[in-house]
Amino acid sequence: MESTETLHETARAGTAEAHTGNHAHPRYLLVWLWLAVLTAAEVSVVAFTALPKSWVVTALLIMAIWKALLVALYFMHLRFEPPRVAVLAASPLPLAVLLVMVVLQEYR
Amino acid sequence: MEAHAMPYYGGRTPEKGMAVYTQKVGMWVFLCSEVMFFTGLIGSYIILRFGASEAWPQPGEILNIPVTAVNTFILICSSVTMVKAFAASEMGDKRGTRLYTLATAVIGATFLGVQVYEYHHLLSHEFGPWSGLYGSTFYTMTGFHGFHVFCGVLCMTWATVKAFRGGYDGGNYRGLEVLGLYWHFVDLVWIILFTIVYLI
Amino acid sequence: MATIVAEPTGIPVVEEQHEMSFIRRYVFSSDHKVIGIQFLFLSLFFLLMGGLLAMLMRWQLAWPGRPMPFGGLFPETMAPDGIMLPEFYISLVTMHGTIMVFFAIMLLLVGVFANYLIPLQIGAPDMAFPRLNMLSFWTAVPAGLIALSSFVVEGGAAGAGWTSYAPLSARPDLSGVSLGQQMWIVSLVLLGLSSILGSTNYITTVINMRAPGMTWTRMPLTVWALFITAILGLLAMPVLSGALIMLLFDQTIGTHFFLPESGGQPLLWQHLFWFFGHPEVYILILPAMGFVSEILASGSRKPVFGYKAMVGAIVAIAFLGFIVWGHHMFQSGMNPLLGTSFMVSTLVIAVPSAIKTFNWMGTMWRGNLHFHTPMLFAVGFVMLFVIGGLSGIFMASAPFDIFIHDTYFIVAHIHYVLFGGALFAIFAAIYYWFPKMFGRMMNERWGKIHFALTFIFFNLAFFPMHTQGLAGMMRRLYDTSGYTHTADLQWTHLLITISAFALFATGAIFAINFFGSMFRGEKAPPNPWNATSLEWQTPSPPKHGNWEQAPVVYHGPHEYSHPDVTDKDWLAQNERPDIVSPAGH
Repeated sequence: MESTETLHETARAGTAEAHTGNHAHPRYLLVWLWLAVLTAAEVSVVAFTALPKSWVVTALLIMAIWKALLVALYFMHLRFEPPRVAVLAASPLPLAVLLVMVVLQEYR
Repeated sequence: MEAHAMPYYGGRTPEKGMAVYTQKVGMWVFLCSEVMFFTGLIGSYIILRFGASEAWPQPGEILNIPVTAVNTFILICSSVTMVKAFAASEMGDKRGTRLYTLATAVIGATFLGVQVYEYHHLLSHEFGPWSGLYGSTFYTMTGFHGFHVFCGVLCMTWATVKAFRGGYDGGNYRGLEVLGLYWHFVDLVWIILFTIVYLI
Repeated sequence: MATIVAEPTGIPVVEEQHEMSFIRRYVFSSDHKVIGIQFLFLSLFFLLMGGLLAMLMRWQLAWPGRPMPFGGLFPETMAPDGIMLPEFYISLVTMHGTIMVFFAIMLLLVGVFANYLIPLQIGAPDMAFPRLNMLSFWTAVPAGLIALSSFVVEGGAAGAGWTSYAPLSARPDLSGVSLGQQMWIVSLVLLGLSSILGSTNYITTVINMRAPGMTWTRMPLTVWALFITAILGLLAMPVLSGALIMLLFDQTIGTHFFLPESGGQPLLWQHLFWFFGHPEVYILILPAMGFVSEILASGSRKPVFGYKAMVGAIVAIAFLGFIVWGHHMFQSGMNPLLGTSFMVSTLVIAVPSAIKTFNWMGTMWRGNLHFHTPMLFAVGFVMLFVIGGLSGIFMASAPFDIFIHDTYFIVAHIHYVLFGGALFAIFAAIYYWFPKMFGRMMNERWGKIHFALTFIFFNLAFFPMHTQGLAGMMRRLYDTSGYTHTADLQWTHLLITISAFALFATGAIFAINFFGSMFRGEKAPPNPWNATSLEWQTPSPPKHGNWEQAPVVYHGPHEYSHPDVTDKDWLAQNERPDIVSPAGH
């Protein structure tokens, strides 16, 4: 692998490659704090058995997606990549939703 | 093998492509297929749960939420150390690179340890993959996630050795960044799994 | 004109002549060309194996209960006294489908030609991840061997059909096959891994490793087709892997995913399988369409008619391929609302398919036709694909599909698209790119004889199956002679079997031509077909690293009979515009 790396290193020198080197690293500890707080919030929402189940599930799903987005945008740096990388990363999601939604129709 | 010492394209650059280096593109493409793999497993869980004729166990009824919440936190910590290792490597912080890489491998292994403990505990209470749809889906999903963490820990162990030999010094951060993408993806899957398997 | 225009500012590639051991060079090689050729031998071997299984099945169908020739070679558990057992017959059906789909056609199309052609056609020195590529090959080998060796384990090979519908496949007590079914699963999980690694590699290579000037709209249609195919494999294969693992767990550790008596959903297996299975169908035809487009342009000395429409059609077919899987399940008792939507989306696929077919005819229209062997197979592909495609449109319609479901009509359709379609295109591609791979030409006369006999016997073998299916003859039956409504049709089985034997024997012509030409064929020039794409602008076979001079691309992919070029009827993609002789000189 090293050799191809060299190849691309030289081939791509000077192309639009600079973004990783240039972006300031976000404050990862802040993201970590958010993730920890959201996890704690998730666990405590479950404890509120008085709330209607659908509310709890909605809240949990929102928090899970929020956490997933934090990881993808900051830890996986999607916020700092060219938009086409984010498009590539998101490309299987419509298919995933489609598969589950269609098969769920069996139980309607 | 393909050690072309000179610029291959005669000084011209190839087409722009994804505008990021090839290893990173490769990892993202691979992660797309991983998304579909977990869609198969998690989707089946959702579908089977919607179609289940018997009542699904309540959160916390069989699984231990506090232990797993702590374990979730542990995995999140490993993601932070992972990204810190990458940042340290990129900024030329040799000591940080080594320590954070080592920390990631250790914390990842800890997560696996807690999961093994959890499995052991559940199995000794007669809750196994044969215990209805709940057991089937629980063990398959968390098991395959655990397998991914296991592969990640193996890679991180290798990366730790490489880091201590100076393999990521001098701005050679790409290996850690690409490995980090995989690691964070596995963390991301766990965030979803924890919510829908343990809490809903 | 020189085939390669020197790039004055270009720096020549450093020739790497490492002393590599035989093993590093030919066995554990990371060179995409060597891996492509390794895949070629592997998949031709599986093509032969799959064909042999089919011959055994055909014997039983034509002469039910008669001892097979060499039947004594089979153990008691398969064929006592040389007479095939029903259990053995159904595992032949299963493994014929599995081996042909996964290990012959898929490896031939994707393993061989994606590996061999993508880097050459986009002007790259190798794949993005050469070692991953090697791993992909060395995962496919054990996968295939596991599948084949399942015949000799206790209980025999998997016998639930290549689709392995649950609960039959999940319950060894129902099928009588436990270890064979598990080996089938493991084999396909391994093949899925190999395919995902390969797809990752192909996609990354096409995205990031194109030579300067090789823009998206200058990529040959073969590369487009292989690229889109790789995306299909990347997104569909893992779903199958997930489903296979659940099936394996149902068999081994007592889970209940697909077992209805304990709350599982057999229909879920069908949904997951066909969510993979339908894109898989396009994995098996899109690369073939790419090869044929390119060979038709080269054989007609005309640019591909409607290049952008062809690309659009490939993308459209791939996209639609993901949302039509339910048309395999009209009979499964799924939600009728789903059935209608799947029917409509399936019928829509006829539009891009028709665009491709008409564009192929447009490409040939008033062209300077050269009927060499690759061209003959390509034209044969178009004819047979139209038949297979049209019967596909019949089946897309739910009311008709319910009538012919699980009959020989389906068998006829699948063979018209996979044999008449994919395999004809594969033969075309092998004849076409053989000179590049091995540096020698294949024998033209025997190639034409091979084509003629294949075309005749193929149609004789598979066309009557349409009639059988419409008459209500069900597929996968061990002995169809005993049913009153099909008893009159037993002679068609005889016709099919004799034609199938002849078709199989025709393969020997190909094999002799293939191996003979490899050693004794006429030496091939770099560009025997006067073709335009980059792989023909480098020696045959290309050296390690592919290029003597790094290619720079100035033209579209299929520039035949360009009006500005007077001295020849083709314009290589890397010819510099200022050197090409302008019109009127």
